Amino acid sequence: MATAGAGKQARFKCLRCGYEYTDVYAPDRERTCPKCRSNSVRRLRK
Amino acid sequence: MMDAGRHPNIELMTYTEIENITGYVGNFHVTVRRKARFVDESECTACGDCVPVCPVIRPNEFEMGLSTRRAIYIPFPQAVPAAYLINIDECLGDVPIACGKCLEACDKKCIDFDMKDRIERFEVGAIIVATGLDVFDPTGLDEYGYTRYPNVITSLEFERLISAGGPTEGHFIRPSDRKQPKRIGFIQCVGSRTEISPDGPNPDGSRGHPYCSNICCMNTVKDSLLLKDHYPDTEITVFYMDIRAFGKGFEDLYRSSKEKGVRYVRGLPGKIREDPTTHNLLVTVENTTAGRLETHELDMVVLSVGFVPPEDGHIKKLLTLSNTSDGFLLEAHPKLRPVDAPAKGVFFAGCVESPKDIKDSVTQASAAAARAQRLLNKDRVSVEAITAWVDHDLCTACGICVKVCPYGAITADPKQKIKAVVTEASCAGCGACAAECPQDAIVMRNFTDLQIMAQVEAALAENPEEKTLVFACNWCSYAGADLAGVSRLQYPANTRVVRTMCSGRVDEDFVWRAFELGAAMVLVSGCHFGDCHYMTANHHTQKRVDKMWDRMERWGIRPERLQLEWISAAEGQKFARVMREIEEMRRQVTREEIEETKAIIAKRWRKRRK
Amino acid sequence: MPDEELRIGVFVCECGRNIAGTVDVETVRRYAESLPGVVTSQVNRYTCSDPGQAQIRKAIAEHKLNRVVIAACSPSLHQPTFRACLRQAGLNQYLLEMANIREQVAWVHMREPDAATYKAQETVKMAVARARYLRPEQEMEVPVTKAALVIGGGIAGIQAALDLADAGHKVYLVEKEPSIGGKMAMLDKTFPTMDCSI
Repeated sequence: MATAGAGKQARFKCLRCGYEYTDVYAPDRERTCPKCRSNSVRRLRK
Repeated sequence: MMDAGRHPNIELMTYTEIENITGYVGNFHVTVRRKARFVDESECTACGDCVPVCPVIRPNEFEMGLSTRRAIYIPFPQAVPAAYLINIDECLGDVPIACGKCLEACDKKCIDFDMKDRIERFEVGAIIVATGLDVFDPTGLDEYGYTRYPNVITSLEFERLISAGGPTEGHFIRPSDRKQPKRIGFIQCVGSRTEISPDGPNPDGSRGHPYCSNICCMNTVKDSLLLKDHYPDTEITVFYMDIRAFGKGFEDLYRSSKEKGVRYVRGLPGKIREDPTTHNLLVTVENTTAGRLETHELDMVVLSVGFVPPEDGHIKKLLTLSNTSDGFLLEAHPKLRPVDAPAKGVFFAGCVESPKDIKDSVTQASAAAARAQRLLNKDRVSVEAITAWVDHDLCTACGICVKVCPYGAITADPKQKIKAVVTEASCAGCGACAAECPQDAIVMRNFTDLQIMAQVEAALAENPEEKTLVFACNWCSYAGADLAGVSRLQYPANTRVVRTMCSGRVDEDFVWRAFELGAAMVLVSGCHFGDCHYMTANHHTQKRVDKMWDRMERWGIRPERLQLEWISAAEGQKFARVMREIEEMRRQVTREEIEETKAIIAKRWRKRRK
Repeated sequence: MPDEELRIGVFVCECGRNIAGTVDVETVRRYAESLPGVVTSQVNRYTCSDPGQAQIRKAIAEHKLNRVVIAACSPSLHQPTFRACLRQAGLNQYLLEMANIREQVAWVHMREPDAATYKAQETVKMAVARARYLRPEQEMEVPVTKAALVIGGGIAGIQAALDLADAGHKVYLVEKEPSIGGKMAMLDKTFPTMDCSI
């Protein structure tokens, strides 16, 4: 299933520790906060 | 080996890769790629006439590179099937100007350069995974000088050097000068029982793994006896931490080795140096029994290397298998179902599950065969009644369920307004369709909306502001929570767990209802990506939670109150840690905030639901 | 809500000291009795044992139970045991619900017996709430293909394939290397018998 924005850079925010970072958006890849290892990583829109 | 090659009921497929496996217990569809050998397996008589004419010389993998083979070769003399093959990447080709000499040499004309890989398909009812192990590569342990010093070899290389069928025909010689070594040392636990820590000297496991590899102690005891048998005047020293000789008859072998004069020195060498002229080895070790530092001059050192799990990500993924933290396969239950995979109809045999010796491998293989027979002896097998069905009074034929089903088990046609129908035999029961259905028209047997809502409401009837509601998937995160219990890991007691088959089942409505009832925190947890027992159903979980976070922000609820974690069945530690971290966050949620959330949900969500 | 009158039986397992050492099972039993639809609530020393199961079957007959809630270990361990117990008692096996008060309560809150007991009560409450909506389900039966796939032709794969083949089943033995034998074929002699590996 095609997902809008796949393969492009996106902003992410960890909802555990608050860390924000930029990474490639890949819907089929697990997200892990680079700082606290949580998976509660939100993709920020705009 | 020979028996397996000629058994009328066994179809032997060597040089064959698994391409795909689909289906379910009792009904797996298997696709394999039978790689071209370029030598007709059934015609070849293994006469070997093709070999001397082949001009390509390569290291012989079976002999650990201690001898050579040609591009046309038989892996080892007793190979089954007893047939040659051509490594086409090494071969010069059949064009006469390039080579093609083997074509002329083969009287029976078994060589066919036009042979292609063949795709074959067949059906099976049960699958046994016996993909074995790899051997630890000690090159990363710089202090032992493996590959730098010719006379430091691994225990597997030792096997080939002492074997009558090996490259030296059983004449035991050392690589540097091809003379028979008189003083031989064995170093135990190479690559085993080593700490891995992200900040320590072994962050990636290249210096070894934490587990005991099970067989190396007895393998060395055996090697020492072989040496004493062939060359009684050899001086043998074994450097060890502990000798684990716990199997039947093992202690006798160990005692016999000591009686024959093998020295056992308790202590692992810190460093090996080499005398550059003689290529003899100077081994420095703290003898912890005697309490002194010793240096031993030896002619040869054998590194008793441990096991590492095989790299079989492809098969693991096809069968939705998981690892324990050591990298070996996770069984359905460590005591009561040790040869069953969590996936029905799949069983484990041998070292793929954990390092083991031949006897244990054979025992487990027979156990796996018996478990498989339990299934194969039945004519029919029942499938758990957790499948989906569609209420056609509610279905609007929108087709969303068709898109999210990982199994292609649902058909519907939005254009022609043909309502959704579930093929029950293909449905595995993840519930992603039921969670996504905007009309709530899909009912999951034994995991209905009513049943799950009733649990949510019961969990949050009292003191909801003090609680964290956890949705845990049956296969991974719920099992991870169980492992936390088995390991007696303590975490805050204000958690309430709702089990679903898959995190993909967690409907937005469940979460909004929990917040409406005043839950302080909600956690959705599932299998890691790639581990999901319903292929990609957990990808929908991630998307759905993303959507819910956006919605929470728009509605004015802190998105942090909804948490998401991927927790495997082996991650009891992670489950307990996550529960402690979320409890810290829960303490920050005030009663005012909860009251505000309840009002927002009542307005926004209730309205959306008509 | 289902049409018939709900008659739920709750069985709280002590699991020796495993549960009872932390959770006050009598408090849990009494609490369960107060929940709507529950007609009997009993304690077993080991619910999974033969006497424990006999007690459940007896209660099903005596109290005409149409839902069974067992507060014990994880469903991954004994759900199949208790489903069989229900079948023996003539009840549809999907009318069972388990409350996991061992792995997810007693063993993880060992230092907080009061909080553990409260969580056990609520876990039973959740199970009873769910049990109200359980329905008898019929399992679909699918035919079994009488053949097996063995992946890997080392000693374990060979042994498994031979056992299955000797028992009369068709076996596909798939090996990625050009010969079977695996790592074992590389060994010279093998312990404890000191004989040849091939």
